[in-house]
Amino acid sequence: MPPTTEAADGHPPDPVLVRRARLGDKQAFAAIVTRHGAALYRYASRVLDDRSATEDVLQDAFLDAWRGLPSFRGDSSLRTWLFTLVRHRVSRQLGRRSAVPQTGFDDAAADIADPAPDPAQLSLGRDLREALDSALRLLPDRQRSAWLLREVEQLSYAEVGLVLGVSPTVVRGLLERARVTLATTLKEWR
Amino acid sequence: MNDPSDTGDALARATDLLRGHTDTGWTRLQPGLLERARGAFRTSEPVRGRHAHGDYFVRTDVLTDQIRRAVDAIPGAAAASITCTTGDRDELTGVTMQISAGYGRQLSTLAAQAHAAAHATIVELLGDLAPGVDAVRTHVHIDDVVDER
Repeated sequence: MPPTTEAADGHPPDPVLVRRARLGDKQAFAAIVTRHGAALYRYASRVLDDRSATEDVLQDAFLDAWRGLPSFRGDSSLRTWLFTLVRHRVSRQLGRRSAVPQTGFDDAAADIADPAPDPAQLSLGRDLREALDSALRLLPDRQRSAWLLREVEQLSYAEVGLVLGVSPTVVRGLLERARVTLATTLKEWR
Repeated sequence: MNDPSDTGDALARATDLLRGHTDTGWTRLQPGLLERARGAFRTSEPVRGRHAHGDYFVRTDVLTDQIRRAVDAIPGAAAASITCTTGDRDELTGVTMQISAGYGRQLSTLAAQAHAAAHATIVELLGDLAPGVDAVRTHVHIDDVVDER
């Protein structure tokens, strides 16, 4: 979760950064980029699965944020608003693709390394995370997005719905299907 | 959140790992993004200033940022909005500010301080073409002002 106090990362909380950035403070905006960028990148890169496209999305979304801040009313949290901007840019990127590259189950399964018999703990963790990344590629865009936003970025159902433009009920359905696929794919790691 | 009994320990562990992970792609991208953030601009109006050697222009977003800093420097005050208006020759004709005041603050005192701070900033930035002190309108409302200092 993002820091909400000055002590957490040395910067003021989001509402203060928003107020300052809205009134033209670029240092405050840079603090917003630093605080939220990693999570936004983590989300966009796993939906797009394309480094160059992810970089374009982040650059465009933060430019959108800078220009849009004066009209940001704070109806949602800054974090949710930023994810909404990124989601908008991600959707445009996906729309440009004639066909979203789909990873077949066999391809993804091949990417999911078997647990080594005696690996170092660090390597195990990395392998497990990479196995999750591969499993995520099996999911359709909306399931993948919903799962990432809820389980990794810990947005509420309502916030996920806001970002994806669907109702919380739809979010619930997307998550259920995503969880089944991911759990099944990762069962070798039990 | 994932319930390990429902979705498997592996998925729960992997989710935790991913949540704490920072992609190298972001680490590489961040410096360039911060550089762009510092160079970002918004569409804003030019405001004419004047010194001994002639006229010059300052953008309203620069003016706004500097007024915000001056007001925020007053204990218990925070600029909530600042709007600049200009005339036909790009001269500043007015500044309207909304100021948030911390609970318990003397509002009239705070408003006077904010008003003076804003006008001093305008004079500093625009020189001889700075409008009179009456051009600055200040509205103060009570709000939670986070102590940022």
